[in-house]
Amino acid sequence: MSSEPLLEQLIDSLRCLPGVGPKSAQRMALHLLERDRDGGKTLSAVLAESMERIGRCRECRNLTEDETCSICANEQRDRDQLCIVESPSDVIAIEHATGFRGRYFVLMGRLSPLDGIGPEELGLEQLAEQLGQRPPQEMIIATNPTVEGEATAFYLQRMAQKHGISVSRIAHGVPLGGELEFTDQSTIAHAFSSRLAI
Amino acid sequence: MRVSLEPSYVLHARPFQESSLLIEALSRSHGRVGLVARGARGVRSRWKGVLQPFRPLLLSWSQKGELGTLTAADQVASPPPLAGESLFCGLYANELTTRFLQRSDPHPGLFERYRQLVAELAVGDPAQPALRIYELQLLQAAGFGLQLEHEFGTSDPVREDAWYRYVPESGPKLRKYEEDRAGELISGAALLGLKSGQIEDRHLKELKALMRRLIRFYLGDKPLKSQSLFH
Repeated sequence: MSSEPLLEQLIDSLRCLPGVGPKSAQRMALHLLERDRDGGKTLSAVLAESMERIGRCRECRNLTEDETCSICANEQRDRDQLCIVESPSDVIAIEHATGFRGRYFVLMGRLSPLDGIGPEELGLEQLAEQLGQRPPQEMIIATNPTVEGEATAFYLQRMAQKHGISVSRIAHGVPLGGELEFTDQSTIAHAFSSRLAI
Repeated sequence: MRVSLEPSYVLHARPFQESSLLIEALSRSHGRVGLVARGARGVRSRWKGVLQPFRPLLLSWSQKGELGTLTAADQVASPPPLAGESLFCGLYANELTTRFLQRSDPHPGLFERYRQLVAELAVGDPAQPALRIYELQLLQAAGFGLQLEHEFGTSDPVREDAWYRYVPESGPKLRKYEEDRAGELISGAALLGLKSGQIEDRHLKELKALMRRLIRFYLGDKPLKSQSLFH
């Protein structure tokens, strides 16, 4: 490769992005330097500022540049429904796909003892405090349908019950447009056992 | 080395490189193994939903160094998934297994015990006796077997009606002085029950305290994270 230290440093730094190996990093660096210096400058300025200024919402732990995120600050959002998700991308997914008008709490992970993640690491004390001070009517648990996600859901369910809050869990089943033949056994079993009367 | 259709359970899966998973599995004839499941996190992965803990699987892999490469994962049966408190117990068993077992140290007996434990947890039976017996066998497999039949020092058989203080690494010592702290005492009947695998309900509390103390003794200052789930 090149013997230009700064260029090498740039290529190396770009590799911290997901899905970017040495080849793509080199292509990105050369593209910015050869064809899009303005874009590169804007990127570096925005990146630097974002890393400095974006923190966590003090209510829901989602990423925000203010003290509270736009969803928590919005008075129109329903305080009676609280949806618990694992990550900020889950908030985006639910916001895009549903007409949910309640609020969120972002765990930034899931209970996973083997990864050293317990209730403290997920900010569940903060959540318990919120449930005590201003309990919503319904807690919607939208953690992923994995073993760790289910364990997290059960832990949350017990927390909510302590505060007398009704709990619901998002449904899991056959994907829309999918075919039973190509759906895995566990999903079919789950979809079958939690079928709905129509 | 190629391994084909080996009865196994996934103990834990963590993201590895771009789209793969690094699986810790407990297999019947190869003990705990680390396997890379290439592309398992991709949208179209054929292993989606299969490589989850507590499911009886038949895993096939090839292995050159410390880590193997998963080549196939077949689901044997679809048992009811663990739920609620049982799920926490299962995660506890998995953490314990990973902490105590070295990789590639086969213990087929322990595997059978793990299978039974998961089956009991899945139907929601009272899991405490099964957990105690699993803990005992796991300690044995790790080389920390418990002395449950004979008294430490005298080699007298443990008596059902006597009280003992269990000394880690040594064994039960007959209770001598009144100043022995009550919490650390264990009845001979409980020790013999654990030995025979027939644990009575009235002994569950003292056996739990005993195993907890021993596990803490062997794990040192890095406690088990899964215990924080039970509060």
